Amino acid sequence: MNGLWLVARREITTRGRTKGFVVGLVLSAVLVGALAVLPRLFSGPDSFTVGVVGSPALQSALAEAGAGRQGEDGTEVTVEPFTDEAAARKAVLDGDVDAAVVGDRRTLADGEVDRELGALLESAHQAAQTQKQLSEAGLDPAKVSAAMRVAPLEQVSVGADTRYEDVRTGIAFLLVMVLFFLLLQPSMYVAMGVVEEKGSRIVEILLTSIRPWQLLGGKILGLGVLALANLVVIIVAGLGAAVATGFSADLPPGMAGIVLSALFWFLLGYAFFATMAAALSSLVSRQEEVSSVISPLTLLIMATYFVSYFAAVEPGSGVARILSLIPPFSTMVMPVRTAGGGVPFWEIGLAAALMAVATAAMLALGARVYERAVLRTGARVKLSEVVR
Amino acid sequence: MIEIDDLHKRYGDKIALDGVSFSVKPGEMFGFVGANGAGKTTTMRILMGVLFADSGQVRRDGRALAFEDRRRFGYMPEERGLYQKMKVAEQVHYFGQLNGLSPKGAAKATGDLLERLALTERAGDEVGALSLGNQQRVQLAVALVHDPEVLVLDEPFSGLDPIAVDALAEVLAERRAAGVPVLFSSHQLDLVERLCDSVGIISAGRMVASDTVEALRAREGRRLLKVVVRGATPDWTTGLSGNITKNGDEVLFADANGSDQEILRAATAAGTVEHFGWERPTLTEIFREAVA
Repeated sequence: MNGLWLVARREITTRGRTKGFVVGLVLSAVLVGALAVLPRLFSGPDSFTVGVVGSPALQSALAEAGAGRQGEDGTEVTVEPFTDEAAARKAVLDGDVDAAVVGDRRTLADGEVDRELGALLESAHQAAQTQKQLSEAGLDPAKVSAAMRVAPLEQVSVGADTRYEDVRTGIAFLLVMVLFFLLLQPSMYVAMGVVEEKGSRIVEILLTSIRPWQLLGGKILGLGVLALANLVVIIVAGLGAAVATGFSADLPPGMAGIVLSALFWFLLGYAFFATMAAALSSLVSRQEEVSSVISPLTLLIMATYFVSYFAAVEPGSGVARILSLIPPFSTMVMPVRTAGGGVPFWEIGLAAALMAVATAAMLALGARVYERAVLRTGARVKLSEVVR
Repeated sequence: MIEIDDLHKRYGDKIALDGVSFSVKPGEMFGFVGANGAGKTTTMRILMGVLFADSGQVRRDGRALAFEDRRRFGYMPEERGLYQKMKVAEQVHYFGQLNGLSPKGAAKATGDLLERLALTERAGDEVGALSLGNQQRVQLAVALVHDPEVLVLDEPFSGLDPIAVDALAEVLAERRAAGVPVLFSSHQLDLVERLCDSVGIISAGRMVASDTVEALRAREGRRLLKVVVRGATPDWTTGLSGNITKNGDEVLFADANGSDQEILRAATAAGTVEHFGWERPTLTEIFREAVA
């Protein structure tokens, strides 16, 4: 066990210090953080400051309107009173306020009024004026305001719950990208590491000191820890950016489940693909041969990537459901479906059980191939010679 | 004692080892020589367990070698294997730990060895940045770091400058003095002759000789008679039997067994005999003879 840990630690310290890993880590975090913030940047501001000259009725109506809409999409309205139009005009030009309403008659803005703000101002104006005119017509102000307090319409979807559909799709696409990157890259590292040791014959010294399973397991474990750290950094960066920009309010319920599912499926998928990478690459002795010998692996990961991309678009389709059960496609399709929501537990359980069996089989087969092939330097070893 | 007993190995149709047997005693330095492809590396890889023999056995003190035994061996493979991107001291330390040293013990052994091998200044450099000779020293440090009970070194001297050769020879002699069986292969026969107690000569997968250097030389010794006569006419050898080579006053008689006394009489009659004796063959000559 000590040998396994020593090998894993060497992988972590030597690979973790390379420029490639650090750059990849920072870049992926920045990229995902930016992608989490991006929709927010395009959707415009979510808080407005409005200047008001006179008209206390409008002021209170505005405050109420802002508060009423807050639950829906978080729009906030701050009211700033001004004594005269000149002061309000200056504040608009200076950008201190987004718009100003003067004497219940005109809206001042630098250019056009934001569409959302315009609608908000208009409805507040309507409410204030209606109340004022009704009061002037001799109605009891208290009764008027009570009559005007109308409960907003509740939205009920009789079909699927589609409120978070866009966000869920966005998260699914992010997951597809991140999982693809984090399954392929460390598997490549495993392959390159195996060939480095085989080609330079370090493996001969290593295997007189430790067992093949310790060397193979330590390598997969060490590089897996790095990849897992990368995944955690990406998740933290993404969620952190979402919280920092206030976008987190738009995230669908069950984010913890989505994150845990991504981590779980990543671990299974990584163990599967990394073992496959190690077994295939142990057949060759030169770095130049790595990419050709592991092409079955790259093809498989690419195929998984494409089907999960499809699943991200159509998470509820029958094809996606079937693919999410089949190893190793399930490693990416299932977390993507989970992000889409509404996956029955039995399907997740079945997919996990199938993938666990496939991973165990790959570990057994891969270790066998590796153990038999890694000391046979020189010409490429035929898979059929070592599998029997 | 390390015993190699009747190893056979075949690669397809090619027979690599055909009944190789020899032994290395504690405190003995054993030079393993042979032409390229004769089977040296194959034998050593089987000894180290990175290759399996078709038949035959490797034993230590009468017991078949197991993985745990080999962990206490120091091994230097034919093709040098080091992590190019890892620092010198880190690497030696790593292999020390893999062989069961504690982190502290490995650190101490690493420091001592790098000092011995004049690598202390390069301890923080990546191995790939070192000259080949220095990489070879690191390789040796990796083989020695856990204070091995047996040393198996495949061509440890190849590519070393004379100073490094001396440093390595000194380190090996020290281990031998500590009772460690040392087995190494080499093409530098003068070096083997100088350093080794015993020599094994392998040719085409068979051991053609395996004995102490002294015994080998003595066995092959009565072949060449060297006679130096001052003041003799060049034709004093006329009529003597044997294969004669002349070089000034020095005359070499090959195949002179049986006619040596006759030659001595002729020499005494011809002039002043300055030298008369059997030439001890060099290891190179024995080797050429053995593999011919």
